[in-house]
Amino acid sequence: MARRPARAVLLVPLLLLMLIVGGCGERAGSGAPVTLVFKHAKILGPADPLPDLLQRFEARHPGVRVQSEALTWSSDEQHQFYVINLEGGSPPFDVMMLDVIWVPEFARAGWILDLTPFVPAAERDAHFPAAIEPAVQSGRLWALPWIMNVGLLYYRRDLLAKYGFTPPETYEALAAQVRRIRSGEGDPRLDGYLWQGKQYEGGMVNVLEALWANGARLLDDVGRPFPDRERARESLAFLRGLIESGVSPAWVTAADEELTRRPFGDGRAIFLRNWPYALDLFELPDSRVRGKVGVAPLPRLRHGPVGAASTGGAHLAVSARTRHQALAVDLARFLTSEAAQRAMTEGAALRPSRPSLYQDAALVARDPSLPALLGLMEKGHPRPITPYYLMLSTTLQPEFSAVLVGRKSPDGAIRDGAAQVEHLLRAITP
Amino acid sequence: MTDRRLAWILLAPALAVLGGLTVYPALWVLWLSLQYRVPVFSISRWAGLEHYAFLAVDTRFWNAAWVTGVFTACSVALECALGLALALGLRGQHRGRRMALALLLLAWALPSVVTAKMFEWLYHPAGGLVNFLAGGRTINWLGDPDLALPALIAADVWRATPFVTLLCFARLLTIPADLYEAAQVDGAAGLQAFTRITWPLVRPILLVALLFRTLDALRAFDIMFVLTGGGPAGATETLTVYAYRTLFQTLQIGFGSAIGVVVFAFVMVVAVAYLWVINRQDQTA
Repeated sequence: MARRPARAVLLVPLLLLMLIVGGCGERAGSGAPVTLVFKHAKILGPADPLPDLLQRFEARHPGVRVQSEALTWSSDEQHQFYVINLEGGSPPFDVMMLDVIWVPEFARAGWILDLTPFVPAAERDAHFPAAIEPAVQSGRLWALPWIMNVGLLYYRRDLLAKYGFTPPETYEALAAQVRRIRSGEGDPRLDGYLWQGKQYEGGMVNVLEALWANGARLLDDVGRPFPDRERARESLAFLRGLIESGVSPAWVTAADEELTRRPFGDGRAIFLRNWPYALDLFELPDSRVRGKVGVAPLPRLRHGPVGAASTGGAHLAVSARTRHQALAVDLARFLTSEAAQRAMTEGAALRPSRPSLYQDAALVARDPSLPALLGLMEKGHPRPITPYYLMLSTTLQPEFSAVLVGRKSPDGAIRDGAAQVEHLLRAITP
Repeated sequence: MTDRRLAWILLAPALAVLGGLTVYPALWVLWLSLQYRVPVFSISRWAGLEHYAFLAVDTRFWNAAWVTGVFTACSVALECALGLALALGLRGQHRGRRMALALLLLAWALPSVVTAKMFEWLYHPAGGLVNFLAGGRTINWLGDPDLALPALIAADVWRATPFVTLLCFARLLTIPADLYEAAQVDGAAGLQAFTRITWPLVRPILLVALLFRTLDALRAFDIMFVLTGGGPAGATETLTVYAYRTLFQTLQIGFGSAIGVVVFAFVMVVAVAYLWVINRQDQTA
């Protein structure tokens, strides 16, 4: 009798364990049809092409079923989901959609399968270099590009034409155009240039673009931070200057993509930096700026090139622990194929990672912006390709934000940021 | 079988679940906090107290501790004061009371992420309702490091005040009306009735509300994570946001665990202090 409490203590966790293990018991045995699990973010847009694509894949592979599971909406939560499941042992999925900035990290961690043996060189080269480069670590290919993004300068075509301007090639010209148009219009509710200055990944993207626009880099070839300090200083000072001079409203320091997209869509700004998705929204039938919006490459500062915009997008990778390696790789290759990307472009208004599709007559007829986007995508830069990019970004975001709100000098932020990054690097490279 | 033994048997399942779900993970986090663990770089080695030593001089950590303290003190004080005031107001009101209660509950029932998203648009400098009501000015609520934290505190107060109101209101309803009538006969009315009758009777429940709200506020996460991401310039980064970034975004499991342990210690100290006050009050009452 005296031993019973001890037995109860043992029993309860055992029961819990059985419940948990029991829940995982659905795995297909030998001979039973194979189920591939595909984890991805929800595909927005007019018509989700994914169910149809997956059916086509199943038709080609009899006995295979693809279970498509949507992730939560926020990118941070998606990352957290993957990390917990991939680090914890056997992940409940075979193919996964990854934000491009996670690919080097996941490859380094050994969580995703080396795709090099499965993907011929020609298939690799069919994608934009800026999409393939982040998927390559130590000469091996770890993921296939699926969706492509690039930072754009949106401008009000009607307003620029009214004052005889063409889209600005330099930020100086942009500032001059803003001043001229705002004084000419005399509308206090018309803002100049909107961009994303909030302390988050999007803010990081905007700072990187300002660095590149001035020919500066965040990391040198061996990964040390701020190799060109003077140029980096100019870039940060320039961003703060946009706010101080009133070319950009002070509230861009709290703005993300949507918070800037809406005022521009309401006709309350002349310029906007955003991703291609905004274009479709500006051209909706009830949009106030319909037919009045143009896109151009991001302008440059003194030492850099025009159009040095950040690329973004999503890749498909295969779990290193999948039990159906060949099939999972096939699914990733199928979904990133030209035919599948064409369907994605038609149905979901996403931009493909294959340059060939940007000049495809049928697609261009549906979306006339594609040829213009081609040149912009080709000029785009991937963000620093390193397994510790997220560490770098979350460490530097508060420093950059402090410059944008005027709390810190550009010099101070670069000095403190570099010191923190070096501290981080010491910890992970023993 | 003695009662004592039976008590243990009956408690065993609960203890086992608590042990498995709370004590074991807590000890595991403590263990992790003594190591360098960065799975991405296959780093797993003993660190001893190095993470804690670094935290002692980590300006980002102390900034987060300060932000957490200010956020907690201000939001909880406002919530309790407003909550009590609203409860008193509700007691005096008879028409539309049910409606008022339902509206209050609505704010409390909304998931905090939804509340945060709502406030994102309320605070929008160019088109937000708050600035519209402020006479069309463009106050940069979330983008100014001096205004961002007060703006978040206001959002939290909006969301959590109803909780305090409901607790206090429930207590107020149980105070017999004849107490006030007797006081009136004795010549005590208005403020005196409040300080002599209402306040002493409401105070214990207010302390409980204070305890709950403080523990919640010390772990505040959703509102700042959605509205400001901890910015601008780290002005709204609380300890839990810092821990989240370290643990789940940059995957420094060891260092992140150390932050978690320190947050846990802070929360424990505050909780024990409150419980001590509440206990003492029970004994004197």
